[in-house]
Amino acid sequence: MQKLLETVLIGISTGSIYALMSLALVLVWRSTRVVNFAQAGQATLSTYIGFEIASRSEIFWLGLAFAIIAGALVGAGVDYFFMRVLFKHAISGPAAVVAPVIATLGLLGLIRSIVGLIWGGEFKSIAAPASKDGFTIGQTTIPFSALNVLIIATVSLILITLAITFQRTNLGLSLRASAYAPEIAQLAGIRTARTRTIGWAIAGGVGGVAGMLVTSYNFLSPYSLDLLLVFGFIAAVIGGLESMVGSVIGALVLGIGLTFILNYIGTSLVFIGGFVVLIVVLLVKPDGIMARGKTRRA
Amino acid sequence: MELWREERHAVRKKIALFILLGWLLLVIGDRVDELRVYQGAQIAMYTIALSSIVLLTGYSGQVSLGNGAMMAVGGYAAALTLNNLGSPVWFAFLMAIFFSALFGALLGTAAARLSGPYLAGTTLALAVGLPAIANQFSFLGGEPGIFFDVGLPAQSLGEEFTQYKWFFWIATFIALLSLFITSNILASRFGRTWRAIRSNPLAAELSGIHSSRMKILAFTISSALAGLAGAVLAMTISLVAPGAYTLTLSFALVTGAVLAGVSSLPGVVLGALILVAIPEIADVLANRLGGGENVSNYLPGLIVSILLILSVIFTPNGPGENLRKHRHKKASSH
Repeated sequence: MQKLLETVLIGISTGSIYALMSLALVLVWRSTRVVNFAQAGQATLSTYIGFEIASRSEIFWLGLAFAIIAGALVGAGVDYFFMRVLFKHAISGPAAVVAPVIATLGLLGLIRSIVGLIWGGEFKSIAAPASKDGFTIGQTTIPFSALNVLIIATVSLILITLAITFQRTNLGLSLRASAYAPEIAQLAGIRTARTRTIGWAIAGGVGGVAGMLVTSYNFLSPYSLDLLLVFGFIAAVIGGLESMVGSVIGALVLGIGLTFILNYIGTSLVFIGGFVVLIVVLLVKPDGIMARGKTRRA
Repeated sequence: MELWREERHAVRKKIALFILLGWLLLVIGDRVDELRVYQGAQIAMYTIALSSIVLLTGYSGQVSLGNGAMMAVGGYAAALTLNNLGSPVWFAFLMAIFFSALFGALLGTAAARLSGPYLAGTTLALAVGLPAIANQFSFLGGEPGIFFDVGLPAQSLGEEFTQYKWFFWIATFIALLSLFITSNILASRFGRTWRAIRSNPLAAELSGIHSSRMKILAFTISSALAGLAGAVLAMTISLVAPGAYTLTLSFALVTGAVLAGVSSLPGVVLGALILVAIPEIADVLANRLGGGENVSNYLPGLIVSILLILSVIFTPNGPGENLRKHRHKKASSH
């Protein structure tokens, strides 16, 4: 019973970080119809910047703030300087379908190499903003710690902020409109290109938070966020790639599911577990859990 | 009748060309030093692996970021066959093809229902997940992996004949053979059908093509090729281990295929050459720049990524396509 409880709690904590990554992917997908594999690279770069600030100032939250800003700037930059050029050139021929996928992969490699050139490959760690020692219930100590609580709280705060932005502000309305029907949004006077760049910036900032939170209990290296990208993608697909709420639910389900595999079956099967979940979802419910009889568009 | 005779003539010409090419490579292999011979074997390995991507992505239009995982299937199948059955080497390679094809067929059944980014992400998850399985089961050898020893070169080849040259001969032979077979498949009805599906799936379906069946077939053949490449890779490093089939390898394959023009089979040799040459060039550059360890570790990645981005933006269909367009323009202006 106790093992079950701690599995669920740890699962929620891990899943909430996946939720940020999958949100970032969904935001970009909705506006640009590209699964941004470079998101892992963008998050790595912003996390390294956050790491620099956090280790110099010894304030985790200052590092987090800088990671958000850096992530947003990098995200906007990628859309403005990269995706716009890409869509101008690679629109026809046999590679047109795969061009965005490959371009974002190239960008992932580029950012990773730049990070490696600057910071090197050795593992870095950031002092966690809260204790990693588990809570004690009665006589037993469970692995669920104050840091996990803090992670869940941070993610919830960001999710609430995003929800308010998307539902209650003009910016959120234009973001939703240009994702849903770009031509009509443009006719209605929304600057869709600029809105799209803002969407990329939000995604970048959210990705930066995900990177910082992962690093708070793990190490940081140019490759350390690859898994986050994969799990974020799986979570996004569970949610249908379109729905922000769906992706958050998907991430929590995935987080709990993978923690179950970790605690009950075996460490090495966690990765393939993610793949199996993905295949099952794609075969059984390819439109995701939030689909309402609408066909997938890609 | 006439057409058939012509076709047979073309095939004969192709066989002659491949034999000539093989002879040329062997002669070159005798003239260069040990390191270059080893790199030659690597180029042959990448050639096989890249042709699997060209067949899958360039022809049938499916993106796979998981070919490293397919290579792992092939490598492990070959190593387990060789170690447990004590079979001849060629049989191990055959088993590599068989098991990776089987795996590819299974995966292809799921993949045929996916498109673009979904497929890319799924295969990405596979590339991350599959090699890690080796850590779970003891007969797969865990992180250190299991040995894969094809044995010493035959005595009759002489005392001078080194192990690396033996690898080079085997790898080159396999690469030429698989290029020959692949080029024939791509020139056949299947190649045509795949291109039809890629350029217009709806029109292809309307012309009576079973597009999902054909996609599964493409996935199967592509996996078989990748598995073969995986076994060759295992041979050159005498080992199969999860660390040999990383995500980086899968990315490198896609990169090499795109740099060489993703829909051109002869291009794969160029792509393989680039993949092997870039770390060398980067090493020279790093020495000249006088940078530390970081530069030599990450400069190859930087160069490859920049090349990849530039080529996907400016020549998304490969350098060959632009040349053809250029010629076409010239011809029509006259």
